[in-house]
Amino acid sequence: MAKPKMALYWAAACGGCDVDVLDTNEKILDIANLVDIVFWPIALDFKYHHVEAMEDKGIDLCLFNGAIRSTEQAEIAKLLRNKSKVMVAFGACACFGGIPALANFTDREEIFERVYHEAPSNNNEKGTVPLLKTSVPEGELELPELFDTVLTLPQVVDVEYFVPGCPPPVDLILKLVDLYARGQLPPVGSVIASDKTCCDECDRVKEEKKISRFYRPHEIITDPKKCLLEQGIICCGPATRGGCGMRCVKANMPCRGCFGPPPGVVDQGAKLVSALASIYQGNTDGDVKRMLEEVVDPAGTFYRFGMADSMLKRKRLQKSRGSVRNAKD
Amino acid sequence: MKTARRIPLLKKMLSQFGIEEDRVRLDWVSASEGDRFATIINQMTEQIRQLGPFSSNGGGEHG
Repeated sequence: MAKPKMALYWAAACGGCDVDVLDTNEKILDIANLVDIVFWPIALDFKYHHVEAMEDKGIDLCLFNGAIRSTEQAEIAKLLRNKSKVMVAFGACACFGGIPALANFTDREEIFERVYHEAPSNNNEKGTVPLLKTSVPEGELELPELFDTVLTLPQVVDVEYFVPGCPPPVDLILKLVDLYARGQLPPVGSVIASDKTCCDECDRVKEEKKISRFYRPHEIITDPKKCLLEQGIICCGPATRGGCGMRCVKANMPCRGCFGPPPGVVDQGAKLVSALASIYQGNTDGDVKRMLEEVVDPAGTFYRFGMADSMLKRKRLQKSRGSVRNAKD
Repeated sequence: MKTARRIPLLKKMLSQFGIEEDRVRLDWVSASEGDRFATIINQMTEQIRQLGPFSSNGGGEHG
């Protein structure tokens, strides 16, 4: 029997998810024994036209990492969707927008202004900016268009499974491939992770959730055995799905929310506002003011990985600026 | 008292999203203050009407 065909793709991402697949170390050989990899831009020299030439649903499993923020990424997402039987949103960016979706606090015009004009490291006296079309003697060159709004993969195409994480832990990749190989994939729409929160899975000592002051990580030396939140560190564990193996917390870093909201939570950031403000001690106007100063960047902290997937999805665009692209159109 | 802490934090966060502060209001009304309740609701309704419908893309196409 022919081996199942697997494709991997990166859209708006850092490449960490691809490296992560290689982090399976010698197990990558098991994966290679189980499946034929037919498309993987970071590692193999297949081109888009190779994918276009495949028959529809000819790919059995597609691990798609990265958010969607350009016409090229949306196009390849749709192409791979058509060619794949099972589409997996792989990693925090594909699932929730991830770090790239923090760009939803700005828009294309502001980004171009910053990157091509304002940035101190620039030397762009002519004020050159990327154009969608440029005429050169050889003909017309075309570039993909950047969206105002970074989108999640499921906002662009239908997705069967979600593997969250920045990047997903190796054991979840192996679990996915193993479930696939044994034909035991869970119901469509499942998240391949835990159904508990990070807090539920954290083995730090938890006593009473009361905070008299929020600290930023550089302002305090924490006790490695005690709950970070109880020590005043903003930890997203209460409103983040578990299954990550507590990599950050074990390294004395607070949870930053890369596994997205746990089951039953619609908006991760709103849940964190509720959770953190609830346990803050002090009821006077002065206390509340102090709390607001201590939480320096609530939106960026609570939606660090989930901006595109949140209820608001982005900072409000001004009318004068271009309209939001709707990649499903 | 938790609400008294949650709403200011929520408002700070919403301001980062470009949402007008006047769209959220926290006030305390006792069950015996019917008139005050009606006044506040009317004020709020009028305030929102003046701000207009909310759209995350500022009223452009493709919300």
